[in-house]
Amino acid sequence: MLDTIAFSQAMDMLFSGFGPWLYVIPGLLIGLVFGAVPGLQISMAMAVFLPVTFAMDFLQAMLFLTAIFTGGAYGGGVTAILMNIPGSSSSVATAFDGYPMARQGKHNEALGLGLGASVVGAFIGYILLLFLIEPLAGLVLKLGPLEMVMVVLWGLTLIATLNDSTVAKGLMAGALGLILSQVGMSTTGVLRTRIGNPYLIDGIAVVPAMIGIFAASELLRLRGNTYLVEAEGARNISFGRILSGMFETFRYPGVLLRGSLIGAVIGAIPGVGSSVANLVAYGEVRRSSKNRDKFGTGVPEGVVAAESANSSSEGGSMTALLALGIPGGAATAVLLAAFSFHNLVGGPAFIRDERDLIYAIIVGNLGQVVLLAVIGLLTLRLLGMVVKVPLTYLVPSVLALCAWGGFGITGTIAGPVTVVCFAGLGWLMRRHDYPVAATVIGLLLGRMTEGELVRTMQISGGNPLAYMVERPIAILFLVLLVLITIFIPLWRLYRKRREAAENPS
Amino acid sequence: MSGRLTLTHTAFLALVALVTSYISWSAIKASTKLFNLIVVVPVAAIIAILIVTIVASALRGKASDGAMPSRANTLGDILLLGCFAVFCVALTKVGFDIATFIFVWIGIVLGGEKRIWLPPLFSALFTLILVKGFGALFPFPMPMLVF
Repeated sequence: MLDTIAFSQAMDMLFSGFGPWLYVIPGLLIGLVFGAVPGLQISMAMAVFLPVTFAMDFLQAMLFLTAIFTGGAYGGGVTAILMNIPGSSSSVATAFDGYPMARQGKHNEALGLGLGASVVGAFIGYILLLFLIEPLAGLVLKLGPLEMVMVVLWGLTLIATLNDSTVAKGLMAGALGLILSQVGMSTTGVLRTRIGNPYLIDGIAVVPAMIGIFAASELLRLRGNTYLVEAEGARNISFGRILSGMFETFRYPGVLLRGSLIGAVIGAIPGVGSSVANLVAYGEVRRSSKNRDKFGTGVPEGVVAAESANSSSEGGSMTALLALGIPGGAATAVLLAAFSFHNLVGGPAFIRDERDLIYAIIVGNLGQVVLLAVIGLLTLRLLGMVVKVPLTYLVPSVLALCAWGGFGITGTIAGPVTVVCFAGLGWLMRRHDYPVAATVIGLLLGRMTEGELVRTMQISGGNPLAYMVERPIAILFLVLLVLITIFIPLWRLYRKRREAAENPS
Repeated sequence: MSGRLTLTHTAFLALVALVTSYISWSAIKASTKLFNLIVVVPVAAIIAILIVTIVASALRGKASDGAMPSRANTLGDILLLGCFAVFCVALTKVGFDIATFIFVWIGIVLGGEKRIWLPPLFSALFTLILVKGFGALFPFPMPMLVF
C-alpha cells in the first residue's frame, strides 16, 4: 500500500528546506477569508491566486493552493455557525446545528467543535489518501450514473424527511428545489424557462439563492431581537471555551470517523464534492443517532459530522484528481490547471511515475492540517466578535453583505435579485415550518440528477430497471431510499401515538 | 390556527403551484422528448400531490400552522424585505456605495435605533469598509457614485 522508497524521497523533498512550506500560512489565511465571506468562493480564491503559482515550483504551488482549499473548507463553517450564512455550499449542514448552538450562547464551543472536526476530518481524509489512493481510484470507477442518481435521491430524501416538520412539508421543500433547478438550459441543450431573461440561461445561481434562503430570510426573523446571543454573559469570546470545544470533538469518535469516511468516499466521486459530502454525512449521522430528534436544535454531533465530512472530502477529491486526472469539483479543477502550468497530467501514469511527488503533496497537506488548528484558533477570536454587535446594526449590515455577495458570484444584478427573491421565499417557508435546507439541496443537486438520469437512460438503452439488476451498489442505495421513505413516517406515527398514550391530557 | 390555512401559507402554496406549472409548461413547450422532461414531469406530479395532501391536512385540522407572529411583526418583516428588494435593484442603478449607505441607515432606523447621529455614521463607515475591502476582491467592475 505504501511505497517506502518513494515515501522517504517525499519526506526529503518536504523537510530538506523551508521552501515547500513558504506559502502554506498565507494560503490558509486566504482560504479562511474567502471561505468565511459569503459570496467569495474557495474556487474563486484558488483561481485568483493561480497566476501567482507561475513563479513557484510544483510542490510549492500545490501546497499553496491546497492550503487555500483547506482554510476555505473551515472558513465557510465559521459564518454558518455565527450567522447562519454558509460561506460556501460545502458548509450548508454546518449551519443546521452550529447556528442554534451560537444562538444558545455556545458559539465558542461550536467554533471549537467545527475547527476540531475540520482538522481531524482533513487529517483522516489525507491519511486515507496516503494508504488507499490506488484501491479508492478503482472503487470510484465502479460508480456509474445510476449509482449517482441513487446517492443524490438518498441524500435528498434523508434531509427532506429528517426534519422537525411533517414529512409532506419536507418532501415539498425538496421537490420545490428540484423543480427550480430545472430553470434554464437542460443538460441535453434544450432552452426552457428563461422568462425572456438571459441571466437564467444557466439556471438559477445556486450560491446567491442559498445566501437568500438561508441568511437573508433568517435575518428577517431575527429582526425583533436585540443580540444574536440574548444572554449578555454568553456573548464573550473565550479562547478557553473555543479550545475546550475543540477537544470536545474527541468525545464523538464514532461521529468523527463516520463523517470523515463518508466525506472521503463522496469527495472521491468526480463531480460530487464537498457540498454533497457535508449533507449526506449530516443526514446519515442524524439518522443513526439516539438524539435524532434533537438534531437541528444545536447538537454538537451535527457540527462534528458536517465539518469532518466537508474537510475529509478534500482528501477524497484529491484521489480523483491524482489517480484519475478528473477534478472532483471547481477547486480541484483549478489544481488541475496548476498541473498543466508545470507540464504534468494527473492519472494512472502520474501515480506510477511521480509517486514521491504524490506522497509529498499528501504529507504536506497533513502538515497544513496541523497549521490550520493553530491559525484557526488565532483567527476565531476575531471572527467571533460578531455576536457582540447589536442586531439593530447587524441585520441591515449583513443583509447588505448578502446582496454584495450575490453580486460577487454572478457579476451581474441577477445575483442580488436572486438573493432577495429567495429571501422572500425563505421567509414564507420558515413561517410555515418548511425546511429551507431541503430546497437548497434540491436546487444544488437537481442539475446533477438530470444529467445522471439522462446518462443512465442512454447507457441502459432505455431500460433502466434491467440495467439496475446488474448494479448491486445502486440496488443497495435504492433499498435504503425505500426504507427511509416508508419507515420514517411510520416511526413518527408510532412515536406520536406512544406520546399521546403516555400523556393523555 | 388549526382547521384552516393562513393567508401567507395559502400564498406560499399558490406560489409553488404557479412556479411549478410555469416551469412544466415551459419545458413541455420547449421539447416533449423524454430527456428534457425526465425530472420536470415526475417532480411536478409529486408537488401537485403534496399540495393536495398539505391543504387537505390543514383543512382537516391535522397540521396546524403553529403560533403565528403578530400582525405588526409581519408588517415589519415585509417592510424590511421591501426595502431590501429596492436596495438590491438599486445597486447597479444608483451605485453600490450610495445604495448601501442609504439601505443600512434606513435598516438601522427600522430596527429601532433612536440616536440620530449614530446610524448614518455607522452606515458610512460600513459602506467605506465594504467598498474598499470586500469590493476590492471582486473580479467584476462595480458601479459607484462617490468612490
